[in-house]
Amino acid sequence: MPLPIEDLWAVSPEIWLAGLGLLLLVLDLFVPSGRKAIVGWAAAAGLTLGLVPILGLVGVTPRTVFFGTYVVDGFAIFFKIVAVASTVLVILSAMDVLRGQTQFEGEMYILLTFTALGLSLMAGSADLIMVVLSIEFVSLCSYVMAGYFKADRRGNEAGLKYFLFGAGASAVMIYGFSILYGLTGQTSLYAIASALSGAPRPAVVVALVMALAGIGFKVSMVPFHQWTPDVYEGAPTPVAAFLSVASKAAGFAVLLRLLAVAFASAPVDWITLIAGLSAVTMTVGNLLALPQRNIKRMLAYSSISHAGFLLMGVAAYAGEFAQGLLYYILAYAFTNLGAFFVAVTVGQRLGTDDIPAYAGLGERAPALAWLMALFMLSLTGIPPTAGFVGKFYIFGAAVQNGLIWLAAIGVVNSVIALYYYVGVIRAMFLMPPASAGPVGQPAALQLALGITGLGTLAAGLFPQPFVTLVSAASLLLRF
Amino acid sequence: MLLVDWLYVGVFLVVGLAMAALPLAVVWALAPRLAQPQKRTTYESGVVPFGQAWAQFNVRYYLFSLVFVIFDVEVIYLYPWSIVFRQYGRYAFFVMLIFVGILLLGLIHAWRKGALEWT
Amino acid sequence: MGQLAAFIILSVVTLVSAVVVVASQNIVRSALSLIPTLLGIAGVYILLQAEYVAGIQVLIYAGAITVLILFVIMLTEHGTGARFRQVNEQVLPGTIAVAVLAALLMAVFFGTAWPRAAGTLPQYTATSIGTTFLTSAILVFIVTSFVLLVALMGAIVIARRER
Repeated sequence: MPLPIEDLWAVSPEIWLAGLGLLLLVLDLFVPSGRKAIVGWAAAAGLTLGLVPILGLVGVTPRTVFFGTYVVDGFAIFFKIVAVASTVLVILSAMDVLRGQTQFEGEMYILLTFTALGLSLMAGSADLIMVVLSIEFVSLCSYVMAGYFKADRRGNEAGLKYFLFGAGASAVMIYGFSILYGLTGQTSLYAIASALSGAPRPAVVVALVMALAGIGFKVSMVPFHQWTPDVYEGAPTPVAAFLSVASKAAGFAVLLRLLAVAFASAPVDWITLIAGLSAVTMTVGNLLALPQRNIKRMLAYSSISHAGFLLMGVAAYAGEFAQGLLYYILAYAFTNLGAFFVAVTVGQRLGTDDIPAYAGLGERAPALAWLMALFMLSLTGIPPTAGFVGKFYIFGAAVQNGLIWLAAIGVVNSVIALYYYVGVIRAMFLMPPASAGPVGQPAALQLALGITGLGTLAAGLFPQPFVTLVSAASLLLRF
Repeated sequence: MLLVDWLYVGVFLVVGLAMAALPLAVVWALAPRLAQPQKRTTYESGVVPFGQAWAQFNVRYYLFSLVFVIFDVEVIYLYPWSIVFRQYGRYAFFVMLIFVGILLLGLIHAWRKGALEWT
Repeated sequence: MGQLAAFIILSVVTLVSAVVVVASQNIVRSALSLIPTLLGIAGVYILLQAEYVAGIQVLIYAGAITVLILFVIMLTEHGTGARFRQVNEQVLPGTIAVAVLAALLMAVFFGTAWPRAAGTLPQYTATSIGTTFLTSAILVFIVTSFVLLVALMGAIVIARRER
């Protein structure tokens, strides 16, 4: 048999996720129409158990498996954990939204499980073909999930826009990869790394820019960010939460592995390019978020600006603060998921996504309002939240790597962002409510909100255990 | 197959196109033309045609062609596997079993969700 | 010499029909024009001595996918009779951007010294594709089945009417 058995153990998380997805598929065929939530709970339970094989891979020596197409290292394991954990939380939040809304409730949970599989594969891909395949896998599931509620015109627009933009971006990215293949004759990222050092510069630059187009689309980097506000606004809110955290995180995993491994010794200065794009992305996202009245659009533009901060982490991925990027992703995951889950609750119970409708939430649902205030402060970067520690590490990494101007722009942008984040807090606590009466929350959503709120606070108050976790993860397998 | 052998295929293609185009060209050149309004109506076996020519299709056509595309792609994976299958023995068998099994689950899902209903 | 002539003919066929696909106002003509485009690409694959890939191209793309597209067009309400304006106000900036990009890309492609490795070209015959799928691309092979599964599920979710 040409395949060594040990390689199968290296993909045990993926085997688990794939098996879970197929099991849920069969389960969905037997569950009667009104009780599809069973599939959701089974998915959440199975995904939580899926953390066990992932954690079982911790501490293994970094190496490539499957003939150099797949890699197992701390970096990949970290992103797998983020992907699976965020999928569990999103499934918990989606159960109330889906109930009774669509006949295809079970499929959403199955699609989310398979997307978690795709994100896991994205985190560990070490071969151009595997990168393309896993990105397309995640994208296919995301297009369907974005346009899931077919009666909603905004949803149709979201799905269609996401699909058209995504297909175009993928096409450009694959073209860039074909140029890379033409230059080196290899598809494995590690083999490309050694072959690119002597490659002619213009062709490498073209390949890099084109590859950035596709991956930049996934992470909402300017100028490939145009789809984000419309898609987040139109998609079902749990799906928007998932897109803003999980697929962005995995996109950054792919981006960093591509740049730090394949383009490591290439004759092109990608650090300056990424730093420039980071500055532009932060600023554009922030400035466009200022006038927003719809919470989902505001969170979409805010996630664009956070993509800018994460790009700063990518540009500064070296040295002592290298874990800045990973810590920020962890903090951002907790915080952004939490903010979107509050939006899910308000959207379900009050039926609106407008920020002025959050007025008086401090009186009507104090726990919810305090959680939202925590998430807004964390997104700005105010202590003692996770967002503050994340920004501290990212700015530290930038300064340490000589990108002081970038860190300065980051600080300015954080201050500007304060305006629209505090705007939500102001609406909740200082404005009188439009109607009285408490706002209830469904049980699963309460659980998800609790976990994200706890995570945001814990990562902010007690960063040390998270920092050790992240430092172990920042070991990216170099060639 | 040598590249120059494809020239024969090319000749075939050109001759085929010519055979389709030639009768049309001959008719266009030689046939008399007398425009009459009855000649422009649709043929419907002698009766006067009624209703629209283009009716809106039912979505079941799309669902069938979709399932067809998916399984056609499966076939193109089956074909090269079947060529090299013998030299890899049981391993190749189990790999393809997994591949086909996954798509079989997809087919069952499509069947149970009514994508294969014609009525 | 003969290869160059064949490549030029195939390129002309492909590019002209591609322009018709994008620019035609009649949507059925647009979809049918996709067939010569895809067949032209299949011809280019043959020039690259990848006969199996050319066969797949004809079978899947020019066969199944074009039929799929035509069915979708016939499904829409005004589908086949609809005429679309295919230009907007941004034709001029778009043309300039495309011309600049094309010039840039051509300068890079013609100016680069593409490395030619010593030894034999990789084979693209069905046998070598099969061997690759069972050895070095085994993970790609299995993941592809999941991609197909998800595509099938997702398309059924989108296409089936909500009861």
